[in-house]
Amino acid sequence: MKGVIFNLLEEVVTRQMGTDAWGELVDAAGVSGVYTSLGSYDDAEVLALVETAAVSLNQSPGDILRWFGRSALPLLAERYPVFFEDHKNARTFILSVNDIIHPEVRKLYSGAGCPHFHFEDAADGRLLVGYRSARQMCQLAHGFVEGASGHFGQEVEVEHLQCMLKGDPMCRLALAWNA
Amino acid sequence: MTQFSPSLEPEARLARLARQLDRERQARAQAEAIAEKGLRDLYENQQWLALLQRVTDGANRSTRLTDAMRMALEEICAKTGWAFGNALLVSEEGTLAVGADIWFAEGEGSLLPFVEATRTIAVGPGEGMAGDVLSRGQASWHLDLANEAGCERCTLAVQSGFTAGFAIPVLIRSELVAILEFFSRTPIRVDEQMQSTLHQIGVQLGYVAERERNRAALLHEARHDALTGLGNRKHLAELAAGALTRHWQTGSRLALLAIDLDGFKAINDSLGHHAGDTVLVATARRLERCIGQVLRPLQDRGSSLPLVARVGGDEFVVLVEDAPSADFLNHFAENLHEVLAQPINVDGGQAELAAAIGIAVCIRDRPTIDQLLRDADLAMYEAKSRGRSQTVIFSSELGEATRQRRILEAELKEAIHKCQFVLHYQPIVALDDGHHVVGYEALVRWQHPSKGLLHPGEFIEIAEECGLITFLGGWILEEACRAAARLAELYPRKPLRFISVNVAAPQFLASNFADRVRKTLMRTGVTPEQIRLEITESVAIADPDRTAAVLQQVREWGVQTSLDDFGTGYSSLSYLKQLPFDTLKIDRSFVNDLQSDKSQSIVQAIMDLARSIDLKVVAEGIETAGQGDTLAKLGCGYAQGYWFGRPSPENEAFAS
Ligand code: HEM
Repeated sequence: MKGVIFNLLEEVVTRQMGTDAWGELVDAAGVSGVYTSLGSYDDAEVLALVETAAVSLNQSPGDILRWFGRSALPLLAERYPVFFEDHKNARTFILSVNDIIHPEVRKLYSGAGCPHFHFEDAADGRLLVGYRSARQMCQLAHGFVEGASGHFGQEVEVEHLQCMLKGDPMCRLALAWNA
Repeated sequence: MTQFSPSLEPEARLARLARQLDRERQARAQAEAIAEKGLRDLYENQQWLALLQRVTDGANRSTRLTDAMRMALEEICAKTGWAFGNALLVSEEGTLAVGADIWFAEGEGSLLPFVEATRTIAVGPGEGMAGDVLSRGQASWHLDLANEAGCERCTLAVQSGFTAGFAIPVLIRSELVAILEFFSRTPIRVDEQMQSTLHQIGVQLGYVAERERNRAALLHEARHDALTGLGNRKHLAELAAGALTRHWQTGSRLALLAIDLDGFKAINDSLGHHAGDTVLVATARRLERCIGQVLRPLQDRGSSLPLVARVGGDEFVVLVEDAPSADFLNHFAENLHEVLAQPINVDGGQAELAAAIGIAVCIRDRPTIDQLLRDADLAMYEAKSRGRSQTVIFSSELGEATRQRRILEAELKEAIHKCQFVLHYQPIVALDDGHHVVGYEALVRWQHPSKGLLHPGEFIEIAEECGLITFLGGWILEEACRAAARLAELYPRKPLRFISVNVAAPQFLASNFADRVRKTLMRTGVTPEQIRLEITESVAIADPDRTAAVLQQVREWGVQTSLDDFGTGYSSLSYLKQLPFDTLKIDRSFVNDLQSDKSQSIVQAIMDLARSIDLKVVAEGIETAGQGDTLAKLGCGYAQGYWFGRPSPENEAFAS
C-alpha cells in the first residue's frame, strides 16, 4: 500500500483524536511508522493499524476503514482539487474514479494497485458499483462514497448487495442519493 | 541554553518541540509534493517518448505513407484513449484534403455514422478542422466541439459523443501531404510534450511520404520498372492498346494474367526492403523464364512475344495474345505457380512465397484495357481467398458474385448502424446424469430486412474484409455481457451460468483488445466469471507470446478463456500448455466421426492432455445420445449440440 494512504490515515487520526493518538496507535500496532507518500509498504501494516484501532475503539475493522474513507475524503479534496473541479455531485465524481482519478494516481505513485470498479445503472435508479480486489476493502470504498457525498452536500444510502468478505466473487454496492 | 531565546520551562519546551515537529512534517509534505510532480511529469514524458519510438520504428519499416498512417493512428489512439483517428491525403496542390479510408475507431456501432461521414470526406481550405490545417499548415485544436460554430461535421461529432478534436499536418519539408485528425470523448488536455510528440510523429510520417514519392518518381519516368527491368503500367497500357486493336480485327483470344505474391508484405516487414527487392527481381526473372519456355511454341507460330509488366508493389501482369484455349492458360498458370513457389534466397533467410493468379480472357466483345485489368484483378483476389497457389479465370458469374457482395457490404454497414443483429444461445451441458445446463454459446444472427435470419457464415467473412468486424464483435461482446447479467438474475445459484463469446481474429489482434473487454465488463457490470472468450486455434498461435499476455490480462479480471475448434489447426500440444486457457473445445469433426477408432483415440489423447494441464473440455456438435455417452466415457465433461438444444433466442434459450 502506498505511503500516501498511511499519511492520510495519520492525518485523519490526528485531526479527530488529537496529536498524541497517532504515536500511540503506531506503537500499539507495532508497525514502523515511517511512511513517505511515495514509498510502498506492506499491506499488513495498514491492516495492523486498522485492527488495532478497531480493538481499542471497540469497533469492527470494516467500521474503521469506512470511517477512515469518510474522513479522508475532505483531505483528498484539499490535496487533489483538480479531481473535484469538474463535478457538481458525488455521482459523476465517483464515476470518474476509473477513467481519471486512479489512472492519475498511478502516474504519481508508481506501483499503486488501485482497483477498477464496474459501474452500472440499476433498474431502480441506483448506481451499482462492482469491486474486486484481493485487499477486500469495500468498506473503504463505502467510506469514500459517503465522504464524497458529504463534500457535495448530498446524503447517500449504501447497500452491500454482494461482498467478497461473505464469499461472493465480487463486491457490489448499490448507491442511492437523496438528490 | 541557546543564544536565541531564554531557557524555557519544560512545558514551553514541549510546545516548541511540537512546533518543530510540525515544521518537519510540513517540510516533508513539501518535498513529497515536489517529488510527486516530478514523477508524474516523468511518467507522462516516458509514455509520449515510448509512443514516438514505436511510431518512428513503424515508419522506418513502411514504404507507403498509407501503411505508416494506419499504424500511427492505432498507436496514438491506443496510448491516449482517443476514440477515433482518421487520415486524409492532400491533393490538388494543397487545396483539397480527401479521407484516405484509413481510420481507427474504438467503440460500438454508434460511431459508424461518423466513420462513414469521415473516411472518404473531401474538404477544402478553411472547412472545419482538416480545412484549417489545409489553409494554415499547422495543427488545429478544437477542445470544445459543442461550442464550435460553422462546422457540419462538428455537429455530427457531438452527436456521436465526442467532446474534443484536433488535426495535425504531415509535411514533406513545408509541403502539406496529409492530415491526421483525432476525436475524443473525454476532454483533451494539451501540453507541450503532447504537442511536440504529435509534431514529431508528423515529421516521421513526412519522411515516409518523401521516400515513397522519390521511389514513385523513379518508377514514373521510365516505361520500365527500374528495379526489375520489366515493363511498367504505362508500357503495359501501350502494348495492350495495340493488342486490343488486333483482337478487334482478328477476333484472336487475348488474355491478361494478374499475378500477386502472397507473403511478400511479410517478407518486406520481417526481413527488410532489401530482401523485398531481391524477391521482386528474382520473381521477374522467373516470370520471364517461364514465359519463354511455355509460350515459345506460340511464338513460333508467329504471335508476338508475351509481355510481362510490374504494375504495383508485388503485382505483375502478363499479356498473352493468341492463347489457344482456356486449358492452355490454366496449364500456363500451373507452370507459373510451380516456379514462383520455389524458395528464394535473400540475405537474412529464405523467402517462401505463393502466387495468386487471376485471368481475364477477352474473346468477342470490346472491353477496354482497364476493364480487362479490373476483371483479372478481381479473379486474382478470388484466387487469393481460395488459398495458396490458386488460379481463377474471370467469369460473368464471378462479376455478379462481386456485385452481390458489394450490395451485402453496403447492407451490412446499414445493419450495424441500425442494429439489425440478435444473439441466439445454444446450451452447453454437463455430461453427468442430469445433463444440466452450465452455460451457452452466443451465436450472432443478422435479421436481414429482406432475406430473413442470416447465419454468421453468410456475413462474418465480409464483415472482416471490410473492417466492420470490430464494430460487430464489440456489439456481440457487450450484448452477451448484458444477457449474462440477466441470466444471473434468472439463475442466481452458484456457479452462475456462463456465456461463451466468439472473438474474431481482427478483434483479438487489435492492440487494445484486453482494454475493450475490461471496459465492456465495467459498462455492463456482469460478473466476469460468466464470460468465456473463445479464441480459435489459428488466432491463438499466430503470436503465442502476445496471446498469452492478453489472455492473462483478461483472466485477472475473472473472465474465462476457451480455445475454439481444437484439433483443426496444426499447433503442437506443447503450445497449448503455455497458453492460459480454462477450456478447450473439441471440434465437431471429431465428434461426427466418433465411431472410428482413430477419432476416439484422438479424443482420448486430447482428454488426457486436458486433464494433465487442468483444462475443462467441451465437445461440439453432439447430435445423438450415443455420441454424448461415448464422450462421457472418454472423460469429456461438457457438451453442446443439437441433441442438447439448438441455438434459440434468449427468452427461449434461458427458459430452462
Ligand atoms: C482524490 C481521489 C482519490 C485518490 C487520490 C485515491 C488514491 C488511492 C491510492 C493511492 C490508493 C492506494 C493504492 C495502493 O497503494 O496500491 C487507493 C486505493 C483505493 N481506492 Fe482510491 N483514491 C481516490 C478516490 C477513491 C474513491 C472515490 C474510491 C471509491 C469509491 C476509491 C476507492 C479505493 C479503494 C477501495 C482502494 C483500496 C485498494 C484496493 O482495493 O486494492 N478511491 N486510492
